[in-house]
Amino acid sequence: MSRTVLRNVAIPLLSIALLLLLWQGLVVVFDVKPYVAPRPLAAIQAVTDNWGLLWPLILGTIRETIYGFFYGLLLGLGFAVVMAKVPFLHRLIYPVLVLSQGVPIIALGAPLVLILGFGVTPKIVIVAWIVFFPVTVNVLAGLSHVDQDLLNLARVYGASRWRTFLQIEIPASSTSIFAGLKIGATYAVTGAIIGELATTSSSGESLALYQEHANSNFSTAAVYGVTMVMTVIGISWFMLVVGSEVLATPWQRRTTARRAWWRRDHDVTESTSVH
Amino acid sequence: MANDLLQLRDVGKSFGATLALEPTSLGIEDGSFVAIVGPSGCGKSTLFNVIAGLLQPDAGEVRLEGQVVTGTAGHVGYMLQKDLLLPWRTVEDNITMAARLTRRVTSGDRAEARRVARQYGLGEFLAHYPHALSGGMRQRVAFMRTLVTRHPLLLLDEPFGALDAQTRLEMQQWLLQVWKDAKRTVLFITHDVDESIFLSDRVLVMSPRPGRIIADLANPLARPRGLDALTDPQFVALKRQILHLLHGGGA
Repeated sequence: MSRTVLRNVAIPLLSIALLLLLWQGLVVVFDVKPYVAPRPLAAIQAVTDNWGLLWPLILGTIRETIYGFFYGLLLGLGFAVVMAKVPFLHRLIYPVLVLSQGVPIIALGAPLVLILGFGVTPKIVIVAWIVFFPVTVNVLAGLSHVDQDLLNLARVYGASRWRTFLQIEIPASSTSIFAGLKIGATYAVTGAIIGELATTSSSGESLALYQEHANSNFSTAAVYGVTMVMTVIGISWFMLVVGSEVLATPWQRRTTARRAWWRRDHDVTESTSVH
Repeated sequence: MANDLLQLRDVGKSFGATLALEPTSLGIEDGSFVAIVGPSGCGKSTLFNVIAGLLQPDAGEVRLEGQVVTGTAGHVGYMLQKDLLLPWRTVEDNITMAARLTRRVTSGDRAEARRVARQYGLGEFLAHYPHALSGGMRQRVAFMRTLVTRHPLLLLDEPFGALDAQTRLEMQQWLLQVWKDAKRTVLFITHDVDESIFLSDRVLVMSPRPGRIIADLANPLARPRGLDALTDPQFVALKRQILHLLHGGGA
């Protein structure tokens, strides 16, 4: 157990610490001026000193990320299921999906503002726009590659299409589904920042705009600090998705299942799990 | 014929211009163990898929317990060389898979799954995921899953084909034990002549192009059968007969 903790937590933390140390070292050795590149501690301080101002903006970015991610997830799952089940719709929808990803995201800003205004909605739309595509492609691949013999077995047992879908096709695609979600998670925060840049009014407030103002004021430490905050949001969201995969797919790393608490008919005397 | 669990009447199947299975008539007696032996492409699996209801035959009729079930699924137990266990389900939940695919799994289903698993050497693996089991153990789980469907007819399509010789022999003895207790009718496809004789009451020999049954042989070997049965003169005689049918006089 302690070995696992060491490998999965301590070593990643060490590598981040080394990166910060390298940054500090480079700035000191080459005597870089603070307005060109700050020291890491100065960047962190620029965030903590303005925490009261930044916190609502951070919450805003997180909200755009989460809402956009889930809308993108639902959209992606919907497209994938429809396309996997109806070949005609697959051929009809696929070109449009590819086209949607060919549009430069930043160029969506102006039309989205015209349609949806400067609020949070266009930012959520941009996140969902970016997230749904990898989800669709991966889930579609997963659903299309379920073992045909397994589907035949379900038919021999007299399973309905709905039960086959829920009990076999969805879990059999879980690896692909989470692959799509992980790619989507890494894109989601980037999408939120692009959305804030492209669809915030000049008098509005957002984390991306705060960074732009800091940049034009030569507050380089704040620019770096906000970048670090954005990175932390992105990594946290990715880690949450990875964590949900770990919880949702215990068979990937366990030999035996934990005894399910809802199985009341399991009498305690019959010890069936071997550890 | 009144005692037949399964009856096929002139059941044939073509795929395009290829006659996969010549119109075939066949009766399988209730409680018997019938082996089907033949080279690949002889229509064994086509025959199985027609009986299981996965394929609609071009002509003819499949009757199970007197009822016409041609082209409809949900009447038989069915097991392949690939164990097709669900990696995300424990052994216990894999055994109850058929129930889960058609209705709500009851505590009775789970109790039955645990009972058969314990009785046939899987008790300590109930909470295991399939990836933690050996190939032989996985096939046992797959067979238990087939057994608890309570269907009177079990179709086993080369279930031990991927196992090493040692494990296969163990599994054959194990299967005979379970079959004796469970009193089901078994149709067992294999390309292993020894296996077809060791297990069965009756051997159907099939031949390809077009797929058809070329011989229907009663197996005189007494039960219960130990390993000595494998060198019994009756065993050897039947084996010689089947090999001649499969490979011609030169075999």
